[in-house]
Amino acid sequence: MSLAHINIFLAFTVSLVGLLMYRSHLMSSLLCLEGMMLSLFVMATMVVLNTHFTLASMMPIILLVFAACERALGLSLLVMVSNTYGVDHVQNLNLLQC
Amino acid sequence: INMFSSLMLASLSVLTLPIMSSILNTHKNSTYPHHVKNIISYAFITSLIPTMMFIHSGQETIISNWHWVTIQTLKLSLSFKLDYFSMIFVPVALFVTWSIMEFSLWYMHSDPYITRFFKYLLTFLITMMILVTANNLFQLFIGWEGVGIMSFLLIGWWYGRTDANTAALQAILYNRIGDIGFIMAMAWFLFNANTWDLQQIFMLDPNLTNLPLLGLLLAATGKSAQFGLHPWLPSAMEGPTPVSALLHSSTMVVAGVFLLIRFHPLMENNKTIQSLTLCLGAITTLFTAICALTQNDIKKIIAFSTSSQLGLMIVTIGINQPYLAFLHICTHAFFKAMLFMCSGSIIHSLNDEQDIRKMGGLFNAMPFTTTSLIIGSLALTGMPFLTGFYSKDLIIETANTSYTNAWALLMTLIATSLTAVYSTRIIFFALLGQPRFLPLTTINENNPFLINSIKRLLIGSIFAGFFISNNIYPTTIPEMTMPIYMKLTALTVTILGFTLALELSLITHNLKLEHPTNMFKFSNLLGYYPTIMHRLPPLANLSMSQKSASLLLDSIWLENILPKSISQFQMKTSILISTQKGQIKLYFLSFLITLTLSMLLFNLHE
Repeated sequence: MSLAHINIFLAFTVSLVGLLMYRSHLMSSLLCLEGMMLSLFVMATMVVLNTHFTLASMMPIILLVFAACERALGLSLLVMVSNTYGVDHVQNLNLLQC
Repeated sequence: INMFSSLMLASLSVLTLPIMSSILNTHKNSTYPHHVKNIISYAFITSLIPTMMFIHSGQETIISNWHWVTIQTLKLSLSFKLDYFSMIFVPVALFVTWSIMEFSLWYMHSDPYITRFFKYLLTFLITMMILVTANNLFQLFIGWEGVGIMSFLLIGWWYGRTDANTAALQAILYNRIGDIGFIMAMAWFLFNANTWDLQQIFMLDPNLTNLPLLGLLLAATGKSAQFGLHPWLPSAMEGPTPVSALLHSSTMVVAGVFLLIRFHPLMENNKTIQSLTLCLGAITTLFTAICALTQNDIKKIIAFSTSSQLGLMIVTIGINQPYLAFLHICTHAFFKAMLFMCSGSIIHSLNDEQDIRKMGGLFNAMPFTTTSLIIGSLALTGMPFLTGFYSKDLIIETANTSYTNAWALLMTLIATSLTAVYSTRIIFFALLGQPRFLPLTTINENNPFLINSIKRLLIGSIFAGFFISNNIYPTTIPEMTMPIYMKLTALTVTILGFTLALELSLITHNLKLEHPTNMFKFSNLLGYYPTIMHRLPPLANLSMSQKSASLLLDSIWLENILPKSISQFQMKTSILISTQKGQIKLYFLSFLITLTLSMLLFNLHE
């Protein structure tokens, strides 16, 4: 594996860890989700261009489109939480309890 | 030259003249009521001639004038049946109405709408004549509905009084329930006999006549206030006394009995219906006689007495004696109208006081009214050789000697003695003893209208029974041989009732006041029948219909079955089975640790 690939792969891993371990703001996990998406995009484009796999050159574009939808959804959830509580601290999300 | 039919038509059409005069607007003048009374007296005299012709020759006539419509195979025309029943009833009804008109000239003298009152009475009389002379069921129905409508208008004459309005509405509702039976009978005859003409029905003599005769019995129950549809008759006493005298004693309430009498060829062959009418009449006569015992309003006691006599007429039909029932109708009209008129004279004299507990001592103050009241009560109870004797005693004798239901017979006998009891009660409270009314009295019975009308009916109720019985041709063979105790049954129970009532009244006159017992309450509140039937069934019907219409359809089927039940079910079960507490960070952390561990295991395991 070349160095560029390892670099991007490391960026992905850092974002993953950042998604799963965050302190109190829901916004930070959403940001890390965007970072993961970005690194995946770059990785996919590099591999497709290096191996001249022309038929798969649509894949990153489509990946971007779906990521946009997912961003919208995540932001709307954030807005809902922010409407109810004012801040988006994660410890507020405790309504669905027994 | 036979002028029978034209004379009869003349006497019937003369009655419609004052109604036509309202088109010319000559009815606004103050002598209109006198015109009406005169016209009725002329019509009475004119109708006596065809009646005497009929009695002499015995020929019946059917006048079939004007072909109205033919609906596929049903031909409807205007036809008058002038047979035994209608020919004798018309003069009797006209005579009684003449006296009542004259009486109401005195009674309603101070009423500002007296012309309208007379117009209503006249319209009622015309519709009653239509009913009596009808040859087909359609014309009978026209007369039937007509008397119902006029009864409504006349009972609610003083429409400012709530009780009068509810009584009029009650009359219409109960009559309507009876009309269902009438229409059912009409429909059955239309389907099975293809006609509404009485002649054709009797010629065809259909076999299974249970259903139409049941319908006619229901119609008679509604119109003649038999048990089950009876509360409207005592409530109808809210109308003025002439109305009570005309409608609810002599003419309208006998319409139901008249209908059953008209159909007697069909009823002869149907034993079931006869037993049914017998039991219905027996229950009615006993129940209303019991209710009459403890009433305190003089008009209500007489109303219950009417109801009891109607039950007796139905009993007579039940033992297959339609001609006797008809004779009782005619004789009953005389003395019942007179009783109502006497009570009207008492009421007006005591300044509109109707409670018998506040009357007394009128024996000396109003001699003429006292005389007629006593004679009327004696005729009602069947004193020998007064009017009532000729019909009532014959009925009791025939019932005793015929093969009939013993329980119904016993009820009728008890009711006969109760008749004497409540008549004694009226006489005792209203006439005897010391006066219980206010000292400032307006007792005046010197008006010639009052005296003439009561005098006419007085002579009628003494002699009419004898007169009519001797001049009609015999239709059924009366039972001539019976044991002496049976012959004297009616007389014995009546005298028993008289003496019992008199003794009780005299003994208990000076006792201290007791609280009413249960039996007293039963009798005074009409056996609780109106109390129960006017509240429970309407409440049950309305609440059931509301629940089934709005709650069942709308709220349950459209709202609750799918949407709300799903949402509730989901929420309940999800709360029940979910164990999450919303600790997101912990869940994400465990995800990361699992991922790292698995990566390590894969890489280092080889």
